[in-house]
Amino acid sequence: MSSVIDGFAVVLEPTNLLYCLVGVVIGMLIGVLPGLGPAATIAILLPVTFGLEPVTAVIMLAGIFYGAQYGGTITSVLLRLPGEASSVVTVFDGHALARQGRAGAALGIAAIGSFVGGTLSIIALTLVAPVVAGFALDFGPPEYTVLALLGIMLVSTISSGGRIRALTAAAIGLLLATVGRDDFTSAERFTFGNLSLADGIDFVPIAMGLFGLGEILYNLEERHRAVQAPTKVTNVWPSRADLRQSSGAIGRGSVIGFVLGILPGGGAVLSSLAAYALEKRRSKHPERFGQGAIEGVAAPETANNAAATSSFIPLLSLGIPANATMAVIFGALLIQGVTPGPQLVTEHPELFWGVVNSMYLGNVLLLIMSIPLLGVFVRILRVRAAVLAPITVLITLVGAYTVNNSVFDIGLVIGFGVLGYLMKKAGFDPGPMVLAFVLGSLLETSLRRSLLLFDGDLTGFLSRPISGVLAAAFLAVILLPLARTLLRRRHPDPAGSAVTEPGDPAVTAVASRPSASAEIVGSGAAADPFGPASPEAGDTGAAVAPGPSAATSGERQGPGTASAESPGTASAESSGEAAGEHAVRDKTATTSTEAAGRPHDEPGQSGAPVTQPVHRDRHTEEPE
Amino acid sequence: MKITLPALGLAGLLVLAGCGGNLGSDGDSGSTAAYPERAVTLLIGQDAGGSTDLIGRALADPASKDLGKPITVQNRPGANGAVAAKELAAAKPDGYTIMVFVGSLAYITPLAVPADQAVDVNNYEVVTGISQDDFVLVANPRTGFKTVQGIVAAKRPITFATTGVGTGSQLTQTLLFAQAGVQATAVPFNGGAPALTAVLGGQVDVAAVQLGEAKEQIEAGKAVPLVTFATQRPSYMPDIPTATEAGFNVPVQQSRAVVAPKGTPKEVVDRLRTAFQKGFADQAYKDFNAKRLLTANEVDGAALLQQWNGSLQTYRGLVAQHKIDLSAK
Amino acid sequence: MTTEPADDRPPAAGPSANLIAAGVVIALGAVAVTGAAGLGSGPGTWPMVIGVALVILGLILAVQSRRAEPPERFTRSSLLVVAAVASMIAYVAVIATIGFEIPTLLLAFVWLRFLGRESWRTSIAVSAGIVVVFYALFVGALDVTIPHLF
Repeated sequence: MSSVIDGFAVVLEPTNLLYCLVGVVIGMLIGVLPGLGPAATIAILLPVTFGLEPVTAVIMLAGIFYGAQYGGTITSVLLRLPGEASSVVTVFDGHALARQGRAGAALGIAAIGSFVGGTLSIIALTLVAPVVAGFALDFGPPEYTVLALLGIMLVSTISSGGRIRALTAAAIGLLLATVGRDDFTSAERFTFGNLSLADGIDFVPIAMGLFGLGEILYNLEERHRAVQAPTKVTNVWPSRADLRQSSGAIGRGSVIGFVLGILPGGGAVLSSLAAYALEKRRSKHPERFGQGAIEGVAAPETANNAAATSSFIPLLSLGIPANATMAVIFGALLIQGVTPGPQLVTEHPELFWGVVNSMYLGNVLLLIMSIPLLGVFVRILRVRAAVLAPITVLITLVGAYTVNNSVFDIGLVIGFGVLGYLMKKAGFDPGPMVLAFVLGSLLETSLRRSLLLFDGDLTGFLSRPISGVLAAAFLAVILLPLARTLLRRRHPDPAGSAVTEPGDPAVTAVASRPSASAEIVGSGAAADPFGPASPEAGDTGAAVAPGPSAATSGERQGPGTASAESPGTASAESSGEAAGEHAVRDKTATTSTEAAGRPHDEPGQSGAPVTQPVHRDRHTEEPE
Repeated sequence: MKITLPALGLAGLLVLAGCGGNLGSDGDSGSTAAYPERAVTLLIGQDAGGSTDLIGRALADPASKDLGKPITVQNRPGANGAVAAKELAAAKPDGYTIMVFVGSLAYITPLAVPADQAVDVNNYEVVTGISQDDFVLVANPRTGFKTVQGIVAAKRPITFATTGVGTGSQLTQTLLFAQAGVQATAVPFNGGAPALTAVLGGQVDVAAVQLGEAKEQIEAGKAVPLVTFATQRPSYMPDIPTATEAGFNVPVQQSRAVVAPKGTPKEVVDRLRTAFQKGFADQAYKDFNAKRLLTANEVDGAALLQQWNGSLQTYRGLVAQHKIDLSAK
Repeated sequence: MTTEPADDRPPAAGPSANLIAAGVVIALGAVAVTGAAGLGSGPGTWPMVIGVALVILGLILAVQSRRAEPPERFTRSSLLVVAAVASMIAYVAVIATIGFEIPTLLLAFVWLRFLGRESWRTSIAVSAGIVVVFYALFVGALDVTIPHLF
């Protein structure tokens, strides 16, 4: 224990304090810039660390790493540009909140969640690092296979836009992940002889193209139809209700992030995905997710920061770098003459505890920096879209270049931007594609490794305790909704056909509004807890969003089909005990968007799904 | 109004002039006497943080001091360095673009990929050799394996992790088990750390990784060394035999060299070689080599090509002799 | 998710557009299957699985095309998107040879003035500002190796 306290003494040396600050500031900056990741930045800064004490060097480099996690949220929320795979999930609700003028709340919650997640994770690291380090080793290819499968199933439930379309997008994402030289045979797959594709496609061009650029191109098309008013930024701070609503998500996100973050490779991505999916599943109003649910930002952002911290565990207690950034930090230590390994804690306690304890300080610094910066960043949204668009495009293009220093990657961003635009036109959500892409190679390589280990015997998955349990969880994810659907079919919910009616006045109300304010109205309604629901499918807006065409297509959407089912569930699940909560959320939402004239006091809203003027999320009907 | 646009742009850019571009067009290639007059780009065909990257960066720092101009390290990862090698081949042979070339790309990858995808190091000017890495075969303690003979005696099929297809890790183990007559399944991982993790976690029985990567785990008793593929016993495990001593013919090392595009003037290559030799003499670099258990191989271009071409011949022969197909799963 | 006002929405294409989307998915699946078959078992197995899945999903989409929400029609304003993409392609084409400064300036200007209908003054000021800030940030501060003139 005394070495832990000595660690604090190390941190409090002025040099270390200074470099901790330098590290987190640089980290935050590169986190904001899409493209240049922490691994590359740390590599560039490596020569700077030669002249420093090992502990000082690592304190700074670690600061860059977790600082980048804070910064990465900002572009995800404001510009729909996730700089890192672990902040893809944040895009869904973060950007939706930003469009509702609640970017400040999203960023504030993300900062608070990151702080809590990071801090809890350090405490856990301090207490149980040596014990849990072994956990990373128990995860072999079979466990990763099942985990990745589970992740991909969760992906298809996250999207809006219909389940078949989500699965299609996910399958395309998996296909994209196969591009490149095969890890097992070195055969070139779908590279068309292009050497730049030999190592596969990088995540950044895909994510920035499909999300960021695709969105810009899509909006470009509409600019001439109605002058887009800059989104009104109503409140910069997360309200008390936001905090209350997010506290559970932050707590659970911390645990998930800490546990999954220990796993080398993919831990942070999986943790953000799992945390989001868990919140959505737990929520009484899963339909809000994707439409601007504050927990949808809190959970993944907490989890990825907790994961960033716990990913130090394999490095510091086993000598195994869990990801590319850890590999560079490993290298930095080597150059310093310290080899991270199982004996690091005993041989260099001042280094181990100095670095660990510096993270407490780093997280406090980041929180302090984030708060004033919130106001600055949120102001970006006040910039006219016509001005913001070229800036975003250029950041995207230059950012893509910085990943591999390759002009080819800029071309890829443009290609995926066009694809993202076309997908939006056709009603496909790019989210599942990006996430499936991220998990794709993990899934394939783990599966093939497992089959090599099991000698081709698939039952091997069930013979191992962890993969067996995970496989059971996987089956539960697939089978439960199926069973629920079947049950519901047998007992059709009478409310189902009724609920679409009360929503209609809202539609009329919205439709009659001038378009500039209608945009805000729309987003407000999108955040509405009473939106249509289809809890397990997650095709929120898609399921019912009769949107603009509600009046005309009302009969086509008919109460008998999908809309009957989804809102039926919503009203069934949201009745009764949830009523009190409604009131609270309702109030929050109202305060934030009141200025925009949101018709929140519509009588039709209590208990009935408000039909949303959501425009891109399509109504799709699919057989279960 | 249209006139003001370029004028304004130019004015903006003029403010920043003097920073020096990196397009390569401003380096006039006629006079080599003044070389180097600007920063030299050192391409690295592997990800930041890998062994090759660290070696390149550890060397670039002291070498640039002698050169008087910075050596900028740029990672162009892909296909074990083939992406970077292709870019280097297309670069102007003026000494401002050079690369750290890994030996496995020259003498192991050609055995695993189709001929048209292989890279021939003879199409480059070799500035200098850098160092060699040796491999060690480690086992999870729970397997009970202490020697290669122990694996043979266990009379069971085993699994081994490699650091990837077409790597020294794959070639060493494939040759070893072919010669020992052990039925072994290769499980490719993506680099040394995941392969070592698989051994520590007992996912596979054994793995061959670079000496420096496994040192800490061996010393902590988490991994048991069985045999090294070095020419001499490494200082930190004097009791572990080399493959030759154990009766196997597996002369496989990872080696690295600095290369320039074909046609780079001799004076420039010599100037670079001098700079890197100064770098090799740097104490911090020497310490890095020692820590990382790297064997210096600071030979000149001709000697290096001889080594590498010889290795390719040897491996081709061995692979044919033992009927090994590195690209098969 | 998106919040555009109702009347701002491009008109919907006919259900046949859904069929086209489904057709694209099937075609993509077919390409994957063909490519996977060429790779043989081992490297080809996984792409084959995905390819077959894509074909099946495409067929389901085709069957549902009549009932599903139709895609949006391409309108005259879609030409803006074409212009935007063309400007970016030109950007990539020249950046390696003439550095990023001039293409960045021009791209920003075209987007601001012609795609965004900003005033001349704003367009020039903002695009010049972008170049200066990008230069300071990427070349000056971060030392990124993007091709640059100065």
